[in-house]
Amino acid sequence: MSAAATLPRQWRNGELAVMLLLPIALINAIGFILPVLNLARYSFNKSRIGGGIENVFTWDNWAGLLSDPFYLELVFNSVWISLAITLTTLVVSYPIALYLHRSTGSWRTFLTVLVISPLLTSAVVRTYGWIAILVDDGPVVSAIKAVGLPAPSLMFNIKGVFIGLTEILMPYMILALMAGFGRLDPRVEEAARTLGATPSRTFLKVILPLTLPGIALGCLLCFVLAVSSFITPKLMGGGRVFLLATEIYDQAIVTLNWPLASTLSILVLIVFGAALWAYSAVLRRLD
Amino acid sequence: MPVSSAPEEHLRLQNIGVSFGNVNVIPSLDLSVRKGEMVAFLGPSGCGKTTTLRIIAGLNTPSRGHIVVGGRDITRLPIHDRDIGMVFQSYALFPHMNVSRNVQFGLQMRNVSGREAEERAGRALEMVQLSHLAHRKPKELSGGQQQRVALARALVIQPSILLLDEPLSNLDAKLRDEMRVQIRALQQESGITAVFVTHDQVEALSMCDRVVVMRNGHVEQFGTPTEVYERPATAFVANFVGRTNKLKGKIGSDGVLSAAGQQLHSATTVAPGAVEVLVRPHRIHLQGQAGDTREADNKVKGTVSGLTFVGDLVQYGVRVGDDEIVVEEATRRERRPVGVGDSVVLGWSAEDTLVYPGGGQ
Repeated sequence: MSAAATLPRQWRNGELAVMLLLPIALINAIGFILPVLNLARYSFNKSRIGGGIENVFTWDNWAGLLSDPFYLELVFNSVWISLAITLTTLVVSYPIALYLHRSTGSWRTFLTVLVISPLLTSAVVRTYGWIAILVDDGPVVSAIKAVGLPAPSLMFNIKGVFIGLTEILMPYMILALMAGFGRLDPRVEEAARTLGATPSRTFLKVILPLTLPGIALGCLLCFVLAVSSFITPKLMGGGRVFLLATEIYDQAIVTLNWPLASTLSILVLIVFGAALWAYSAVLRRLD
Repeated sequence: MPVSSAPEEHLRLQNIGVSFGNVNVIPSLDLSVRKGEMVAFLGPSGCGKTTTLRIIAGLNTPSRGHIVVGGRDITRLPIHDRDIGMVFQSYALFPHMNVSRNVQFGLQMRNVSGREAEERAGRALEMVQLSHLAHRKPKELSGGQQQRVALARALVIQPSILLLDEPLSNLDAKLRDEMRVQIRALQQESGITAVFVTHDQVEALSMCDRVVVMRNGHVEQFGTPTEVYERPATAFVANFVGRTNKLKGKIGSDGVLSAAGQQLHSATTVAPGAVEVLVRPHRIHLQGQAGDTREADNKVKGTVSGLTFVGDLVQYGVRVGDDEIVVEEATRRERRPVGVGDSVVLGWSAEDTLVYPGGGQ
């Protein structure tokens, strides 16, 4: 405080804030904005066989992408599957988050650590864990067979990706939900109950509307993470599940077609932009 | 106020008990509230008053006992079927609904049609003079306004009982006085049976028909404000309701009361042994003041040790032997000045000398 008081007067009129923000703004500009602009530029360049980039302006990448049904389906699939995974994650995480929000003391601490602990292991390790669980002769399939039901194929297809990603995203969803549960006051729920609301109507009319900010935040976060995840779809999809992120990886690392990979990346950014827009639209309506 | 000669019982708590593990929070509570009356649960925090209120609402489950409303046992009835209006200390308005929708909530839960719900909510808001704020969100209202919305929301469903949990404790002093009058007026107009939880004796005495003084899950006394104040059943009640002087004393085998180093007269009779003698500060008079013709059954000599002028009254600290007695006198222009160190004679009547067995507490 005393340091601020001795500063020249003109420093306090917002210039101090600018000075303090400058380093992070610079880092962001160099580390994020510049590469993204670079990516945008590549998407208008021409690729050469063997990974070269010809520095000429062309619409070919975009035109090719938007006219090829494979890529359109890729975008559609990625968005649709990510939305479905996000929704599933929400449904399975919500009760856990609500329970956590309502628990107290050391029990709550213990449960929170339990929820966060998967984040201490990398997604690669967890994905291999799921592969071990879900493979054709793994415990889950064996158990289903033992009951006498037809053995499902849970691995190296979209089902495996679905299960794996849902579990991997759950900690993020739970944390985001809990962060958004601030408006949930137990007294307000009690007020609804005394006014004649059954538990289910209390949930629909009071709890759910009050937790919508958390739901919106969690869904945005998990959708973005689902669209951009590629390790889990890559490993659990067994090369048979084609999504935007895995395709970008293939184009950039396998085919070495950087301009196409860049074009797809920009497309993902546009999808994220749309998700952000939807999120802020929801928040505006809530207030 | 519809109080007939034989008031009808509306709410009965029968042997209500609450235990957490081995701890008996409320050992056994019996209480009967008449139709149309407003009863205060008064006591220090932790006395079980809020727990009891929440048991009536169904928000807490008693370990044993029965709650009977209008002749019907509602002990096992879920909260939403109890037909109770509750006003919470924190108001607990729905932050995502505007004022009108807040008030309509209970009606919607009762499947009242939209049109009628709107009309009834409108009338309820009129009653609390908030019609002009019907479309505001709760966070845009002041504390007092939120409180009135909470009251309208609880009353609009015409519940069989209105429960108020420390409804005034979050308001500033001036607003508290206004709301006290308004809540009481609304309760009397609607003739609703109400239970009011408070730790503030002024609220309890000024608003309610009867007061339940609670302590450690027990009812210490259940009576009208006058009874509780003038004839406290226990030393605890005398101490908690209004201020009081406390003297250690004893009653000899001959039945004579002695305290403050001399014999005192009291209207109450207590078995011989150690006793507590309680006298309210404003019932004690400095003797020999000009124009003071009041007779005193008890006269005690002392020395003024402190003096505080509080405008409409003067507070004296008077040392009597080992005891310090507080005396409050209304300020009068012609009063003889008394200063610190002066010798005075304190006088009070036998009726104002409250004697309770024990002396431990």
